Amino acid sequence: MVAKTKTDRAVHHSLTFSMFENLISFLGKFVQLTPEDISTIEDKMVIKEYPKKYLLIEEGDIAQHLYFINKGLIHKYFYKGKEMITTDLVCEGTLTGSINSFLSGNPSHYYLQTLEITHVLSISKEALEELYKQDKKWQRIGRIVITHFLLQQEKKILDDIRYNIRERIVHFAQDFPSILNRVPQRRIASYLNIKPETFTRLKHLITETKKPTGPKKKEKSNE
Amino acid sequence: MSKSATDKQALFIKNAFHYFQQFMPLTINEMEGLVKYCEFRKFDRRAIIVKEGEVDVFLNMVVQGMVMKYVKVGKSETILQLATEGHIIHSELSYLTQTPSPVIVQALEPTVVFSISYENMQAALDNFPQGETLGRKILETMYIKKDERKYAWQSKNVRQRFLDYINGHPHMLQRVPQKYLASYLNIKAETFSRLKHLTKQ
Repeated sequence: MVAKTKTDRAVHHSLTFSMFENLISFLGKFVQLTPEDISTIEDKMVIKEYPKKYLLIEEGDIAQHLYFINKGLIHKYFYKGKEMITTDLVCEGTLTGSINSFLSGNPSHYYLQTLEITHVLSISKEALEELYKQDKKWQRIGRIVITHFLLQQEKKILDDIRYNIRERIVHFAQDFPSILNRVPQRRIASYLNIKPETFTRLKHLITETKKPTGPKKKEKSNE
Repeated sequence: MSKSATDKQALFIKNAFHYFQQFMPLTINEMEGLVKYCEFRKFDRRAIIVKEGEVDVFLNMVVQGMVMKYVKVGKSETILQLATEGHIIHSELSYLTQTPSPVIVQALEPTVVFSISYENMQAALDNFPQGETLGRKILETMYIKKDERKYAWQSKNVRQRFLDYINGHPHMLQRVPQKYLASYLNIKAETFSRLKHLTKQ
């Protein structure tokens, strides 16, 4: 059922620390955070755990939260008639949500569903607005995070046009090796805008990509 | 500057001021503060604004005219954006990361844009009091529009895509060569002509 609510940080300090560690390193890529900033984040974000197949948002809902994934996997999709179209597959270390709805206040086009037991840090619209009011620094962080979303979005639109099917499969295998074996192939095919049959026929590209001898691939230590 | 040129400049400023209100309310004083960081740039019809491989140093708002953004893949070109008055257009990936542009930005009509250079943007973000908020609001608007377009592109069939776009932008049929609109909507040229008859009924 519904997730645990905010953990008592005084009691579970070390647990909390590890919960926020990933987020701090995610934001740390963009800005230098002080210990005070970190405690501000800890106050504004809520630790939640969702079971597998939990619907965080449905089509038509107005998104009230963004989610930073600590553990687990979230599937973003919509239905075109009866066909499920995957628009995103996101795992640990990523900030996600029905971003358009969250920003615009319009009903979400998308569903967001967990595909595994998923641990997130969630931030509400109100909490984010409070942060923006509190200090220019948070406005800067907000802008940089939106920039990050915009770049990802633009890159995906462009990649679907400029890369052929084989290239898209190889790039996905290179960029998201940790997602490959955790989601049904049909979902990856849909995300890459490839027919399931075509994907099945070409999935050998994934295994080839993962091998050190594969095309255009650097040595991998874990092989 | 001649009187008519000054009048024109004043009109452009007025329009730019009006278009900025879509992101956040700004007072005249604030707008005057912002104008210091920006410049007007003029382009002839068909002028290339950003070449492929060039680093884009400007964020532009169209004040008059029309600008398109497209990507070349082999011999084919795909139009990603058609921007008219009040719209923001540039090579996002290039500008935001200051790396060579994968896309081409080109004027389709004689065009005036209100631009802020990357350098001035950094200065405005630091020194213009509403800079951070305005910067974020612009990016949010860009994200929302792009997502709406991507969703429409993925969720609608060809006929719906055509009808919704033409109904929402009736002037574009007159303003844009058909092949560009067809490319933008990802509709084959023949299909596009056939669908165009629907709008005449």
